[in-house]
Amino acid sequence: MPGADKETDLSERIESFLSELKRCGSGAGSLRGSAETARETTALLRRITAQARWGNAGELMEIIRKEGRRMTAAQPSETTVGNMIRRVLKIIREEYARSRGSSEETDQQESLHKLLTSGGSSEDNFRQHFTHLKANVIEAINELLTELEGTTDNISMQALEHIHSNEVIMTIGRSRTVEAFLKDAARKRKFHVIVAECAPFCQGHEMATSLCKEDIETTVIPDAAIFAVMSRVNKVIIGTQTVLANGGLRAVNGTHTLALAAKHHSTPLIVCAPMFKLSPQVPDTPYNHTKLKSVDTILYIHILSKVNAHCPVFDYVPPELITLFISNIGGNAPSYIYRLMSELYHPEDHEL
Amino acid sequence: MEFNVLVEYFRAQIRGDPDVASAVAAIRSLLEFLRRDQSETILGLRENMTQAIRRLEETDSSVAVSSGGELFLRFISLTSLEHPDLSQCKNVMIERGELFLKKISLSRGKVGKLCHTFIKDGAKILTHSSSRVVLKVLENAAADNKRFTVYVTESQPDSAGKRMAQKLRKLNIPVMVVLDAAVGYIMEKVDLVIVGAEGVVESGGVINKIGTYQMAVCSKAHNKPFYVVAESFKFVRLYPLNQQDVPDRFKYTADILKTVKDLNQEHPMIDYTPPSLITLLFTDLGVLTPSAVSDELIKLYL
Repeated sequence: MPGADKETDLSERIESFLSELKRCGSGAGSLRGSAETARETTALLRRITAQARWGNAGELMEIIRKEGRRMTAAQPSETTVGNMIRRVLKIIREEYARSRGSSEETDQQESLHKLLTSGGSSEDNFRQHFTHLKANVIEAINELLTELEGTTDNISMQALEHIHSNEVIMTIGRSRTVEAFLKDAARKRKFHVIVAECAPFCQGHEMATSLCKEDIETTVIPDAAIFAVMSRVNKVIIGTQTVLANGGLRAVNGTHTLALAAKHHSTPLIVCAPMFKLSPQVPDTPYNHTKLKSVDTILYIHILSKVNAHCPVFDYVPPELITLFISNIGGNAPSYIYRLMSELYHPEDHEL
Repeated sequence: MEFNVLVEYFRAQIRGDPDVASAVAAIRSLLEFLRRDQSETILGLRENMTQAIRRLEETDSSVAVSSGGELFLRFISLTSLEHPDLSQCKNVMIERGELFLKKISLSRGKVGKLCHTFIKDGAKILTHSSSRVVLKVLENAAADNKRFTVYVTESQPDSAGKRMAQKLRKLNIPVMVVLDAAVGYIMEKVDLVIVGAEGVVESGGVINKIGTYQMAVCSKAHNKPFYVVAESFKFVRLYPLNQQDVPDRFKYTADILKTVKDLNQEHPMIDYTPPSLITLLFTDLGVLTPSAVSDELIKLYL
């Protein structure tokens, strides 16, 4: 029966995606980078919408939420998965509201205004059936996919406004977004880049080689030299793994040090992050390193068993140290992030 | 409804349920006033309302009553715009008013649920004076089987901190009362600071019992997170730039305002904490950064 085949095919794909997610944490999987993860997640959600069995928007949202919880549990540090799920849930809510023709498409959030003026139950349980809902939702998800594909280009287009001739730019580790940003500026301007190598995996080396290929003057420095070199730097441009709801960052370890050094020298810190990295999480403690990598790969000498070695993967950078966020929708201050978040996600979806 | 009856009703609400927020009691009294009001026109109704709110503010001069009253007035204006006919308008108002009251009675619970996840096991918390919202947050955290210690400032001149300590002891939470002057001394030991608010102003700053500003400055100096928990009906349309800008009618209690001639001899009961010292605000509208507060107010009063 074609129905049953579709269902098994769908669950197979979901299972294979989940195992990909579990493996990508150790760098062994085929998903490289957050952009690809975001695209794969959205494509999978489109497939679920098209192939799963659901009668109304409420059921679809339940299915997506259930699969979403499994996906985020598979790889909690990959926040783009959760972000895409929340985007799709918001898309479903919007399409449902549009189908109903209700006037509350813009302000679905709780606000003082809504508290005062809502007459009667605003509890929408999404139980109404609409024939065109499926097609509308799939079309909206396709738009989302197109947006995802264009993010790096949209960010790089803004490079010329921020990078001027003969400037010294500092960055840390390897970020594909920053790489594209710098390469775009290099087509018209001549500037110098200093890359902090970001031990222990030294991804800064790959970044430097890649930039060199485009004839950008690059220097690699060890992480310990960041403060010493900072006085000669005009701007610091970094990427990040996640942008948190308060405007802070969860970025590769060493970024907080870089941010503090930049603050000390009053050097502007620019973060290039596409919108799909924006997550509704708030850092509950600044010291919340949930992910540690195994140290076997980096300790070359056999240390006695009495020594503990920790290798956290991520750093928290508080919003006060950041000057500007450059995303695919333009430049924003960290204090504005809450507003962008309210446009992307519905508050009831913050907790999947 | 006579204004004396209104004031009696308000006082009875507070006596009957000491845990209720003063703004909720004020709004409940105003709703009752609305029900019994005999005006023939919407303008007359609005005028009566304004006078009633002024009488309530004279009874209890806290910022919360003022913000609750203004919110209710705004509610009336918005509803009357939709239904120009008085009798129809009144029915809609009463119905919506009940709904509004029901929602804001749940606000404290929502804030408690949001905030208690920020309290980690083994945390040392500093709080100021007595706040029912902070109590609810700590109650939720304790119910979640978290172990934490609380330091409360005495909070003179009314020693409200001691009352808070008693309530916390009843919940089996280890608590220690410290002098107001000991805030700087104790700051290095604590992990986070949580305070309530009497009012949240447009800039994202808060108005709270005197001593809060001091605590905020100390926590900034020590890099400790400073959290404010407040329900959304406490958002008020003030924009003070410094301590002097806070209107006198909030600084002193209602009795003092009525009896004393020279206010310069009196000591204010509240102070203003600017938004730059606040890390996050926990409200029933969600976890907000101070810059998000003015957005909320604009959405309402535009």
